[in-house]
Amino acid sequence: MLRGIVLALGGVFLAQGAFAEMPAGDPEAGRKKATMCRTCHGLEGLAKIPIAPHIGGEPEGYIARQLIAFRSGERTHEMMSVVARSLDDQTIADLAAWYALQKVSAALPAGKTDAQAPETCVACHGAEGIATMEDVPNLAGETVMYIDTQLKAFRGGKRTHEIMSGIAADLSDDDIRALAEWYSGINLTIEKAQ
Amino acid sequence: MKKLLLGTASLLAVTALAHAQAPVPENLEKLSNFQTTGTTEFTFIDQTGDYADGIKKTLERITLPDGFKIGLYAVVPDARHMAVGPQGIVTFVGTRKDKVWSVTDRNKDRVADEVKDFAPSLKFAIPNGPCFSKDGFLYIAEQNRVLVYPAAEFFYESPDVAAFNVVKQGELIPPTEESYNHTARVCDIGPDGKLYITLGQPFNVFAPEKMDLYNKWGIGGIVRMNTDGTGREVYATGVRNSVGMDFDPNTGDLWFTDNQVDGMGDDIPPGEINHATEAGQNFGFPWYGGGNTRTNEYKNDEPPADVVFPAVDQVAHAADLGMKFYTGKMFPAKYRGAIFSAQHGSWNRTTPVGARVMVTYVAEDGTATSEPFAEGWIDENGEYLGRPVDVAELRDGSILVSDDLAGAIYRIWYEGN
Repeated sequence: MLRGIVLALGGVFLAQGAFAEMPAGDPEAGRKKATMCRTCHGLEGLAKIPIAPHIGGEPEGYIARQLIAFRSGERTHEMMSVVARSLDDQTIADLAAWYALQKVSAALPAGKTDAQAPETCVACHGAEGIATMEDVPNLAGETVMYIDTQLKAFRGGKRTHEIMSGIAADLSDDDIRALAEWYSGINLTIEKAQ
Repeated sequence: MKKLLLGTASLLAVTALAHAQAPVPENLEKLSNFQTTGTTEFTFIDQTGDYADGIKKTLERITLPDGFKIGLYAVVPDARHMAVGPQGIVTFVGTRKDKVWSVTDRNKDRVADEVKDFAPSLKFAIPNGPCFSKDGFLYIAEQNRVLVYPAAEFFYESPDVAAFNVVKQGELIPPTEESYNHTARVCDIGPDGKLYITLGQPFNVFAPEKMDLYNKWGIGGIVRMNTDGTGREVYATGVRNSVGMDFDPNTGDLWFTDNQVDGMGDDIPPGEINHATEAGQNFGFPWYGGGNTRTNEYKNDEPPADVVFPAVDQVAHAADLGMKFYTGKMFPAKYRGAIFSAQHGSWNRTTPVGARVMVTYVAEDGTATSEPFAEGWIDENGEYLGRPVDVAELRDGSILVSDDLAGAIYRIWYEGN
């Protein structure tokens, strides 16, 4: 576990390195540009379709890093690769600032306690699926299949990350399903930013 | 009747077990042996209240040809493709998540009064595509598995249903080719008694090095097999991501929709409704991104000479999904034999288009023309109030339309003027 945290911190420094030249984001400009995101991710980042993650209240650095990865081809997706191709640095910064500004809260379903949360994940993603550090996504309320797909992508090498590639490598299909069900079962609320 | 159904199920059990001998997931193994799994709890969906009222309010703004009405049939979260039971007892509804819903109109007032999850002891993965054989076997095509549920219209009342492998987990496509978005399957039973399944390819436009693998598996195509999973063959290739098909009841030919390439601009390439007249046809992708629009990625490559172009183009990016030939008698004569299809609506177009039900008239010579039938799910601010996914037909000749944004099924019926 300790090793995971140390590595995770390493990931943060690396991620920050990638942003050294990124412009500062303007959330108000991001809200206007988010019209291109809202059909799938919602204007406040509560996803409208199951294949899209909830991105409202996601750490700013994580959102920006993923858009950069889609743009460069490091991460691929049928839809996001098309969208990200046309985004400039300022747009990415603005969108990340807007979505990061949304206030999220998570609540465990009745009968569940933090102690039952998957040990492998909690250091970075929290027991309730709210990220504890930059460059980590929230997982609360994502669909089982979204989390399942991402973990299998890390395990198979289609998606790579300093920490996640290693963690996913050791997971069986059943492990993945169980982790996905834990985080999917958490109720996510996104409060619209004023 | 019950006895007859059980008899059929037992018979299938014997034949199905004969070829389902490889290890199966724990619960499936029990269900394949008609054992109980201990799961007893259904999830029921509330059919009344503020949520249902909100959907009904949206429906007030939907426009239809004169004499037609639309109403809320059921609240069904994430509703995707539908399979109406051949006995008219229950409609099964797939999702892109991990549940299949059973929708029952017990009092036959043409509004469902019970929606609960189907087979809650099984773990589904993108169970988008349910389809029925005429004799009551329910097939559900998932991301990478196909199961059959004999006499599902009878067994669905219990949390434990009879279930057997048709295509085992991980054998529909190589697991390395799984994706989330383009692995929503649909299935149908053809007039030849075979099970047809659409297999979307997992890219916007795939790279040339994938071509051989995809052609071998029928990824970016349609496959067919015997209903026990044997005799699999690639039926059609050159399809980008088909999420809707039906057989013309008059000719027996397969028609299917296809979703076309993104990122080429707002107005190209067109969406497609295709007409397959025989096995082995190529429908043009990835050389063509939709209609006769060439993709940038393959613009310097020679397309196959025998590419079959769409029977009818649709507006670009509208996302044509589920479709159904109308066989009922309720609607006026001009709709009989026509195709009703759902446009999910664009996701990446400057001004959204789609989110409506289309009707396509097929002439004797096979040419086809389309026009909007039900629309109004995009509001004046360009926001979606609903996104239609599939069309099915009830035995009274009315049609059902599923919507995975609103989480609902609508019923459209004809009253005349």
